[in-house]
Amino acid sequence: AQETFTLRLAETWGPNFPIFGDTTKRFKETVEKMSDGRIRIRIDSANKHKAPLGVFDMVKAGQYDMGHSASYYWKGKVPETLFFTSMPFGMNAIEQYAWFYYGGGMELMEEVYEPHNLLSFPGGNTGVQMGGWFRKEIKSLDDLKGLKMRIPGFAGEVFAEVGVNPTNIAPGELYTALERNTIDAVEWVGPALDLRLGFQQIADYYYTGWHEPATELQFLVNKKVWEKLPADLQEIMRVAMRSSAYDMLIQSQHANAEAWANIKKDYPNVKIKKFPKEIFQAMYEANKKLLKEAAENSEMAAKIIESQRNYLQKSRAYTDISERAYLNTMAEVE
Amino acid sequence: MGWIIKLDEGLGWLSKVCGWIACVAMILMAANVFYDVVARYAFNDVSIAMQEMEWHLYSVVFLLGIPYALRTDGHVRVDVFYTNWSNTRKAWVNLVGALIFVIPFAFLIGFYGYEFALDSYHMGESSGDPGGLPNRWIIKAVIPFTAVFIATAGLNMATYAIRVLAGDRSYETEHSGGGLA
Amino acid sequence: MIGMIMFAAALVMLMLGFPVAFTFGGVALFFGVFAQGMDLFAFMPYRIMSVMQNTVLMAVPLFIFMGVVLQRTKLAEQLLTSMGRLFGGLPGGLAISTILVGALLAASTGVVGASVVAMGLISLPVMLAHKYDKRLSTGTICASGTLGQIVPPSIILIILGDVLGLPVGDLFKAAVWPGVVLIGLYIVYILVLTRLKPETAPPMPEDPTRSRKQEIVAALIAIIPPLALIVVVLGSIFTGIATPTESSALGGVGAVVLAIIYRQFSFKMVWEAAKDTVSVTAMVFAILIGATAFSMVFSYTGGDYLLEEWLTMLPGEHWGFIILAMLVILILGFFIDFVEISFIIVPILAPVAESLGINMLWFAILVAMNLQTSFLTPPFGFSLFYLKGVAPPEVRTVDIYRGIIPFIAIQILVLALIVVFPEWFGMSATY
Ligand code: NA
Ligand code: NA
Repeated sequence: AQETFTLRLAETWGPNFPIFGDTTKRFKETVEKMSDGRIRIRIDSANKHKAPLGVFDMVKAGQYDMGHSASYYWKGKVPETLFFTSMPFGMNAIEQYAWFYYGGGMELMEEVYEPHNLLSFPGGNTGVQMGGWFRKEIKSLDDLKGLKMRIPGFAGEVFAEVGVNPTNIAPGELYTALERNTIDAVEWVGPALDLRLGFQQIADYYYTGWHEPATELQFLVNKKVWEKLPADLQEIMRVAMRSSAYDMLIQSQHANAEAWANIKKDYPNVKIKKFPKEIFQAMYEANKKLLKEAAENSEMAAKIIESQRNYLQKSRAYTDISERAYLNTMAEVE
Repeated sequence: MGWIIKLDEGLGWLSKVCGWIACVAMILMAANVFYDVVARYAFNDVSIAMQEMEWHLYSVVFLLGIPYALRTDGHVRVDVFYTNWSNTRKAWVNLVGALIFVIPFAFLIGFYGYEFALDSYHMGESSGDPGGLPNRWIIKAVIPFTAVFIATAGLNMATYAIRVLAGDRSYETEHSGGGLA
Repeated sequence: MIGMIMFAAALVMLMLGFPVAFTFGGVALFFGVFAQGMDLFAFMPYRIMSVMQNTVLMAVPLFIFMGVVLQRTKLAEQLLTSMGRLFGGLPGGLAISTILVGALLAASTGVVGASVVAMGLISLPVMLAHKYDKRLSTGTICASGTLGQIVPPSIILIILGDVLGLPVGDLFKAAVWPGVVLIGLYIVYILVLTRLKPETAPPMPEDPTRSRKQEIVAALIAIIPPLALIVVVLGSIFTGIATPTESSALGGVGAVVLAIIYRQFSFKMVWEAAKDTVSVTAMVFAILIGATAFSMVFSYTGGDYLLEEWLTMLPGEHWGFIILAMLVILILGFFIDFVEISFIIVPILAPVAESLGINMLWFAILVAMNLQTSFLTPPFGFSLFYLKGVAPPEVRTVDIYRGIIPFIAIQILVLALIVVFPEWFGMSATY
């Protein structure tokens, strides 16, 4: 009989977390079927391991063989991991996938994770994330000054540069905090997941996104475990990760479309807004400045930023005459 | 016996120092949270570093409080039978419990907690949020640090039980557990 | 199966009287190392870290601090005895006051450890000093301290909202009436009990030097300062000045300010209060850490899969499903904590409920009500441990176990009412 492997996977999400959790379940099914049971995947959700943001360490130390999470969560540990999720004013999902698989992204990611005994693979995309729920309309840069917003990570730093006060609130208290004006705005994900937290009941202004245009989750694999797998099983894993990631992108599109239709129907109070141009310009500059600082601090970061910038330029030129041109045409005739 | 008494008192002193640090952290934490509320509401000023400091202090309060509460017998017991037992019997329960429950438990947490904190130190881990605190390893190191003191407090529980068995002390005099209300 | 044997072992070991927290931890260690080896405990630092970063739990030390300061400065006593006096010759006045204060605390926090311990510090000594029955006193405190789970804001409701995909606001609204009914029935119970057995809760002695009117005026004046403190805490949440967690810090600082106003302040008092707070906080968190080791071993040895298997055998018909699901949660609540239940059990039950056309909002409230009961059911009801931890030695664990029974019965009654008459609570059983 052939050797069988049981891989324990720790995910950052709770059990049955929609979309993200479906992705790991689909991955498990695909792998088990394709390998005819030679690989078994055991998924442990956050309620079991209790360490949603410990996935990196646990896979690194071998307590788990695999993880499903998002690269930018590890920014505090390894600053260069930031770039493999989504960057403000960066590539959209198609462009970013193209960068990963054909534009050198995978090689750079491998270089960043290698010293930590880890392999990282794209793990599913949410598409453009929404810019957040605001209780008051934002009409000018002045309206942003001193605004208290739950916005973590790098996007929080960009917001901070234009005068926002990024604020920490325990997820369990977010709803109450927004409802009672303890904070003024909340950034979460997109309609499908935001709907569950009920922000549409208490905030009228839903801003379009700019800060995470293509949030890519990740599969983490312990390198020693990976190397133990025979080549055919490695290939099965690779294909299963890639197909379940692709599945997540389209599932996100579907679930968000459904959720948005429901919000529009049940909560006519919700208005979609876009930040005014002066705000975008200020944030664009702030983003450039922060990237420049990051590049100065780390050679590796400089290399990634450079690669992403070049790739974005090249592929955006094509997006402009294909996707964008098409959407513009549609907008004109409809 | 003399050295047992000395050891017992020395270990008891260690736990009290833990309690002392936890008390200072407790007062600082209340002030910290109060300051953050006032700063945000009155001056619209939010500092992620100060917000993170809240849970750093709170962690110190409850972690270092554990060895302290072991010395003061502040940890709750199910006293269905315990209260009616003789000093000797109580001493045996505490002696055996300290040796097979408290010390091994503390050892495992300390052992794995040390690796946990060390890894954070090697990576130079810091907060991932804008303006957050650097040196995450410090707060992570409180876990193995606490484990060491839980172990010494467990040993202390054992030395005290030995003193009770030798007739030098009794649980009635020391029993402050539940003595708050 | 190891998980199940471990429960039995823990139960026996707890009876020996070794500290609860370390009994949980020690038993978990034996079973864990035996079944999976030492490396299982490499997960412990992560679990401890997740408690450290759970900032909602900061309310525990902060509310305890407020309770200790109010107790040390006698302001708590003043609040409760004055409220008790307002009820005049009515027996049980202190117990009713305790329930009302518990309801106010419940509206400001959803953390049971915080409110049970604070209530234990504030009202247990007063009730005992006024010759209240130990069982009645402890039962009242545990039950009213646990109200925070159903009265919004509530952690159970937030978790259920997440697990069931329901908006938190809807859940909070739906929980208001069940909470009010529960509080009302607690009070009715006290009134009935003291009618039948007046000796369990003697009325406050009358002050012969004052007329009834003077007494009421004096009581109202005495209530104002501590009540003002509670109003500040609640008000800060409702106006959004503070999150529920932060409000507990306002409570602590406010209590110190009151102490200054009443000339009870000294640095020694604050230091002693901090010492008590540290000790009680450590007691609560040591239990949480011991219990997390316990549940770690339970789930990593396959206990959660076993539960899942059992649950798939529930009947697929409306009433049979509801009744059995409630029974299962109630029974599991004796042994495992509500977070585990919410995450392991509820996701399995939810799709079945949905396929039966059951209104998920109603279902969520039933589950929340039921999970609140799990804090109170012996032998592993955490509220009972917490109260024991701050009770004087003459209050025995057995007193607490017995004292809580009538209140558990009331909770089950309310649960049954919501099941049978959802419309009374502004809900419907189906869509
Ligand atoms: Na987001
Ligand atoms: Na509450």
